[in-house]
Order: sequence, then structure tokens, then C-alpha cells
Amino acid sequence: MKKLILISGLILMVSCQEKSKLDPNINPFFQDWTTPYEVPPFMDIKNEDYMPAFKKGMEENLAEIETIIKNTDDPTFANTIEELERTGKLLSKVQRVFSNLASSNTNPKLQELQRELSPMLSAHYDKIVLNEDLFNRVEEIWNNRESANLSKEQQKLLKDTRKQFVRSGALLNDSQKKQITEINSKISELSTEFGQNLLAETNGFELILNKSDLDGLSDAVISAASEAASQKMDQAESEDEKEKYKDKYVFTPHRTSMYPFLTESTRRDLREKLYNSYVMRGDNANETDNNDIAAQMAKLRAERANIMGYKTHADFILEENMLKTPDEVYDLLIQLWKPALKRAKAEVADMQAVADSEGKDFKIAAWDWWHYSEKVRKDKYDLDEAAIRPYLSLDNVIQGVFNTTNKLWGLNFKEIFDIDSYHPDARIWEVTDKDGSHLAIFIGDYFTRSNKRGGAWMSSFKGQSNLDGRERPIVVNVCNFPAPVGDNPSLLSFENAVTLFHEFGHAMHGILTDVTYGSMAGTSGPRDFIELPSQLLEHWVSEPEVLKSFATHYETGETIPDELIEKLLKAGKFNQGFINTEYLAASLLDMDWHTLSLQDAKNISNNFENNSMNKIGLIDEIAPRYRSTYFAHIFSGGYSSGYYSYVHAAVLDSDAFEAFKEAGDVFDPELSASLRKNIYEKGSTEEAMDLYVNFRGRKPIIEPLLKVRGLDGSSD
Amino acid sequence: MKQILFLGLFFISFTANSHNPEKLVISEIERGQLNFENETIAAEYSAALKRQRIRRLSAMSWSKKIYIFIKAGFEHIIPQGLDHILFVLGLFFSTLKLRSLILQVTAFTFAHSITLALAALGFVKLQLSVVEPLIFLSIVWVAFENTFFKKTTKWRPLVVFTFGLLHGLGFATLLTQYGLPKDNFISLLLAFNVGVEFGQFAVLLVAFILIRLIYLKTEYKNQLKIPASILIGCTGLFWFIESLI
Ligand SMILES: [Zn+2]
Repeated sequence: MKKLILISGLILMVSCQEKSKLDPNINPFFQDWTTPYEVPPFMDIKNEDYMPAFKKGMEENLAEIETIIKNTDDPTFANTIEELERTGKLLSKVQRVFSNLASSNTNPKLQELQRELSPMLSAHYDKIVLNEDLFNRVEEIWNNRESANLSKEQQKLLKDTRKQFVRSGALLNDSQKKQITEINSKISELSTEFGQNLLAETNGFELILNKSDLDGLSDAVISAASEAASQKMDQAESEDEKEKYKDKYVFTPHRTSMYPFLTESTRRDLREKLYNSYVMRGDNANETDNNDIAAQMAKLRAERANIMGYKTHADFILEENMLKTPDEVYDLLIQLWKPALKRAKAEVADMQAVADSEGKDFKIAAWDWWHYSEKVRKDKYDLDEAAIRPYLSLDNVIQGVFNTTNKLWGLNFKEIFDIDSYHPDARIWEVTDKDGSHLAIFIGDYFTRSNKRGGAWMSSFKGQSNLDGRERPIVVNVCNFPAPVGDNPSLLSFENAVTLFHEFGHAMHGILTDVTYGSMAGTSGPRDFIELPSQLLEHWVSEPEVLKSFATHYETGETIPDELIEKLLKAGKFNQGFINTEYLAASLLDMDWHTLSLQDAKNISNNFENNSMNKIGLIDEIAPRYRSTYFAHIFSGGYSSGYYSYVHAAVLDSDAFEAFKEAGDVFDPELSASLRKNIYEKGSTEEAMDLYVNFRGRKPIIEPLLKVRGLDGSSD
Repeated sequence: MKQILFLGLFFISFTANSHNPEKLVISEIERGQLNFENETIAAEYSAALKRQRIRRLSAMSWSKKIYIFIKAGFEHIIPQGLDHILFVLGLFFSTLKLRSLILQVTAFTFAHSITLALAALGFVKLQLSVVEPLIFLSIVWVAFENTFFKKTTKWRPLVVFTFGLLHGLGFATLLTQYGLPKDNFISLLLAFNVGVEFGQFAVLLVAFILIRLIYLKTEYKNQLKIPASILIGCTGLFWFIESLI
């Protein structure tokens, strides 16, 4: 006990933080934050502070809207659109802190609040966006826009604001509005049900094996499976059930359990069984079957699009994107499809050759892919992951990404210790521009922990705006890298390092942004564009010049050897036929579901997916990345007619990086400056395609992506 | 307002903001609900705190770091290390001869420096739950010797040396829990040790001055020897029992 005093004593000594000057008796959201750079006073915010702040924030927000409407002057850009930009400050203040912490440093109370708040907030925003008086003002400004003498940025803001109302149904009559509301609520119910079914189906199958069934499996995989069985035993309620798992090994259709099994097991019959359990999820003609839900959703979406005045759901969605029509999307996907499929067929042939040489007497099937591609990988692309990690300590990689943006744009980063963060692992840096001026605060929260959601993302605690003086943002990156063991540094895989660069690319989009109106700042652009700034930055981590500048061995200090870099880059081209084919198949499937006319959507055949895949000639050895019955992105997430976005952004980033390659310098000063000015600073103040063309001088082409992914014939 | 709407969307379905939802959607399905185990969260938090302290230290100037570690070592004796204070007082009351005292204190210092260094470098590892009761026992033994042995034995410095090894391990368990930045490992370890010596020296100095003030003559120290030692021994015994429960 006494010893603990010592430790706490030492902590106090080193950390002696500046105490915040907030009044502890008043909700911190109702006070001005006098912390440096207005970083939220995390230590003063308690769980109980959120709800009252949300309520007051919503109230204030509605009152502000009321003031705008009540203005007796004729509606103008300044007294309506610009004023709208100024509304909702308190709500945004609390919402940004809450939604960030509810994901990155959550607790049961915040989770509960999240469930409680979600319907409240959507009702609140409906009140604003369905407010007719407000829309009438906006519409009047819109109709007089020619004579209003607006700047380009203002025109875009006006257009975007109006579109928000129109897309929520402002131009519809009352009965149409009612229909839309009904359809929306049905869709939301169905999508919840879809997700629940999928979870039940994924958890509903298990492959229970005996010791004699483990041929080919490594010790690590075996012990994980045995651990899974003993967990099942602990959870079992009856003795019979316990007996079922005793001394057994359990595998499930969860990817983390399935992939290692498919890769290592030499038992073809068992691979087939497990693989089929995965691809048949939601398609088992039982009470958790998702076929009907998918069809119903497609029909409802088509119906909604019709009411809104669009031919199909995809037309409705894509209007907001960089690619504006289904034709443009199909065109892109089909262009990529052919080389991807060709490469996939070559990969099948490679694997067949391995199987034949082993004297196996079968044709490679879908459930053989992982097992045989691993053999090809070892043979052609052998790369030992463990050999790379020592060069990629987290601190090195962070330094690497800082150096990269320093060379590109002259940015500097200084870690700050006298501001409290929300968790001791969430580090705070001040970002300054090349002239030394303050640009932003960057928070990097990299290690996985049990009160953090999975995945990696970028978000912000404070936005950027120049409307009422220069306001600079507070941007955060959250990742789930393995926490260090003991006093050793955290060593990343190359994939982790790429993720770090990716999220930092988003962060740059949020940090360099320099726009007048906050709603158009940073990452506010269309979905098939906002992955460009992030995926583009990934290219630098793979540049030997950049890698060598930061990847030094954490023990010996030795720079990463050329030979290892070469292997690493070559390994990036492994299995690309498969990866692209399964992805593009799913993207095309998504488009097919959402380009149905209402008539066709009412008569969806049971063979819809099969027909769709046969049409493009998908081979039997590959299933779409997501089959319809477990395509959560489009039927239970927000990605309908949007799954193509990743590859579209990839086309953009490869083409954009090619510009640097052409210049012969990945830090070419002129290009870097243009990239910053035309892409990273601009937010959504112009149409995304215009921004891109301003940078590149022409529209994007797919060839650089084919080259990056080895689909240009170079890997054959 | 679009921003608020956007935020609203972001809030309702988290996937709306910019990250790779491909991985997020999947990991959500794979991981299911977050489950909150307070013990795990606390352990993660304190590991993170330690990392934060080390980062903070690394960012400081060398002299600031040295100062902090000397201060930490000193404070580990005064006021936080009552057990070490009692042990040192036990040595103080054991003898009238300055030479013998210096000999013992030197043996003690030498010994705990060795184990502190060895343990901090990771060569020796012992649980605090084992080391701590033994440290308390060492206090009891020194007090016992003071009370029942007429003269300090010639083995005494050796015994003290052995006990010193234990106390060093005690310092080290705490120092490693606290964390030493890798880049200045040796110098900070030394600084901590120097702080400990200062603390120890201060205890002796204060004890010496007090005795002089009370009795003006050092010989009277002997009259205090037994009652003081009994008191020290009983306290040590009490801690020892407490630490076992
Ligand atoms: Zn992203």
C-alpha cells in the first residue's frame, strides 16, 4: 500500500498539469474553454454532463433557426445561408466530444447514452431540414442567385445547402412526404434486421473438430481453436453441451477463425465445409435468411428514388458523388474488371500447377484458394512479416509520416505535454506551418484497448472556419495497433504502417483545410473522393527513399536493407487478381441491386445474384467479397451504390501519385504545393472532379492503378 | 448546418466519417459488443500512464531529468520510505562508534546500489510481495540485534550488506514500475540512487543533530538504544504481519 504512494508521488512530480480554470459547479459545455487551442477539458467532463448539454444545444439550435426565419428582411445569402453556418455551436461542441469518446474511450454509460440520443438527434435534424419556412427562404435565395453577386465558394455553399433540403423531400407534396417517411422507417427497420440476422448466422455455425482432424495446422492456430472450445465450454449451460466441446477444437465463419484454417488445413473436406458455412450466411432458407430483406430493401429504395424524381436509387445516391451517374460507375468497374479477372485466372493456373505437382487429382475450388495461394506466396513472394516489424516501431513510423509531410509542405510537429488528453495513450501534437504559424492540434491515439471500437478512423474535436476569424481545427486519428508488451516499443506490421499513413492522410485533409465556411471544410466532400487524400499518402510509405529515412531497427539502429524493401514491395502484388476480382464483383453486385427500376425491383428473381455474376463472367473459384445475404455495407451500413468508392479513390490516388513519379521526385516542390492548394486545402468548396483536374491537368486514368496492383500484365 | 447534419449522420451510423469502413464494419461484426472489464481497463490505463511518463521525461532536458530522478530517490526515503528510515535508524542506534556506523551504512549503500542496478537492468526479478515482507523482517532483525546483543558482531556489516541487497530490490521494483527512459537509462538510474543516498544521509544527519540537541553528549545515545530499537522492531514486526495478511 505504502508503495503506491511513492508511485503516485512520482506521477505528480512529473505531470504537474496546469489546472483548468473551469467552474466545477457549471456544466463544462456551458463554459468557454480557456484551455490552450480550445482542446476540450477532458478531465472536467463527466458522463452526466452530456445529456443536459445535448438538450440545451438542440434547444438553442432551434431558437437560432427561428430567429433566421423571423427576420423580416428579404432573405439574402448573408442573413440566411451564412447565419445557418453560425447555428448549432453548442450542439456541435458537445456532439463532437461525445461521438469521439463514445467510440475511442467509451464506457457503459456512454453506450447507453448513444442509444438514447440517436433517435433524439435524428428527430432534431429532421425538424430543421423539413422546416418549410426555412426552405422557402433558401429557395428564394436560390432563385435569385444570378443577381446576388456570390463568390464561387458561396455559390457552392448555397447549392449544397439547398440540396440538403431537396434531398430530404422539401419539394414534395404532403402525401409524398408521408410516403418518404414511411419508406425511410421501413428501410431502417429492415436494415437493423439484416444486421441482426447476419450476426446470428455468423455465430450460428461452428466446426467442431477432434485432435485427428487438425492436419496441417500450426500450433498457434490449434491453440486458438482449443481456446475457443474451452470458452464454449465455460459458456455452456448443460452438462451435455459441455461434453460436446470437451477436448475439441472449434472453428467458426468469423474471418479471424476461418482464414487461418483455410490457409493451413490440409483437409480439403473440412475446408469446403467451413468455407461453405461462410458464403451461405443469410442464405439458408431459415428464419434468419436475408434474401427477402435484401429484395424488399431494393424495392423500397427504388420506390423512394422514383418519388424523389430519380430513375433508380443509384441515380439518387450518385448525384452527390464525384462519379455522377451509374453509367460512369459501371464504365470504371468494367474497365478494371477485365484485367483483374485475367490476372485471377492466371493465379488459378499457378495454383493448379502446384496441386498437380503434388499429385493431387482435383480442380482448384473456391475453398482451396487460401491454401494453395499460400504455397504460391511462399514460393514466389516469400516475405517474413516478423523480419520487418523490428524496423517499424510506432515511433519510427510516426516520425516517418511527420517527415513526409514536412518534406511535402514544410509542416512541423511538436508533442505537447501540458494539455490533458482523454487517455494517456492519446498523444497531442501542435502542428505548425512552414512559416511557423499555428495550423492545428493533432491527437494520435494508436493502441488497441478494451474500451475502444475496432478499426481505424479520423475525426475531429473542432472544425476549421474563417467565417468569424481564423479558427483552426483539432483533428484525431484513432487506430488499433497492438499495445507494447512491457517496456518494449510497439512494433508494427507493414500493413499497420500503411494504415497509419492512410489515417494521417485524412488528418492532413482536416489539418490543411482552409475554407471560409466550416460545413465545407476538410473531409466534407463526397464519399468517392474523400479517400483520395488518405490513400494518396499511403504511396509515400512504400517509397524506398521514404522507408529508408525512418525504418531503422529498434535495437541495432540499422536501416532497413534494400533486399527486404524489394521483397516487401513485390509482396504487395501477390494475389491481386483475387483481391480485385472479389472486390469488383461485390461492387458490381451493389450497383446491380441499386440500378433496378421500380418495375424490375418488384419482380426480383431468386437467381438475381447468380445472373448478375454470370453476366460479368465471375469464375467459380471466387465468390464476391460480399454475397448479397451478408453484404452489410449496402444493406445495413450506409454504402448502397457506394461500395465502388474505394477503387475509385484508388484510381485517383495512383493517378495522382504518378504525377510525382513523372516529375522524378516524390517531393517535387511545385507538385506538392499544387496538391495542397487544389486538394488538401479545398474541402468541398468546389466539385470534386474540378479539384482533381485543377491538380492533375486532366481527368484521372486507370493505367497507373493497374500498374500498382500488378494487373497490367507485369506479374504474369 | 450541413456540417451539423453531417455530424448527425456520422453519429447515427459511425461509418459515415472518413476511415476505412471496410475494416470497421467487419471488425464490429467480428468483435460484437464491447465488453467492459474494469480490471483490464485499469491495467491498460496504468500501462498507458507509464508510457506517457516516459515520453514526457524523454522530452525534458537532461538536467531536468537528472533533477527529477534525484528528487524521486530522495523522496523515496523522505517522506515516503518509512521502512528505509527505520532501518537506517536501526543502524544509527546500533553503535556509538562513528567508524562502525560508517562501515555499516557504506555496506548497506553498496549492497542496495548493486541490486537496484541489477534489477533495473532486468537481470534480477522479484515480486514486491516477496521483497517487501523481507525488508520488514530486516528491520526487525537489526532492532533485535541492537536490543539483545551487547556489542555489534563482526558479522554485522555482512548482515547489513545482505539486507541492503533486499532494500535495493525494493527500490528497483518501484523504479521499474515507474519506468526509466531508455536513452538516459544509466545516468537516471545513478541519479535515483544518489537521491536515495541523500535521503539516507539526511536521516542520519537529523538523527545525529537531534541526539546532540537533546543530550549534548553522544554517549547518552546508548541510553536510547534499547527503547528506540524495541520501538523500531515492533513497528517492523507489525508491518511484516500486515504485509502477509
Ligand atoms: Zn479512409
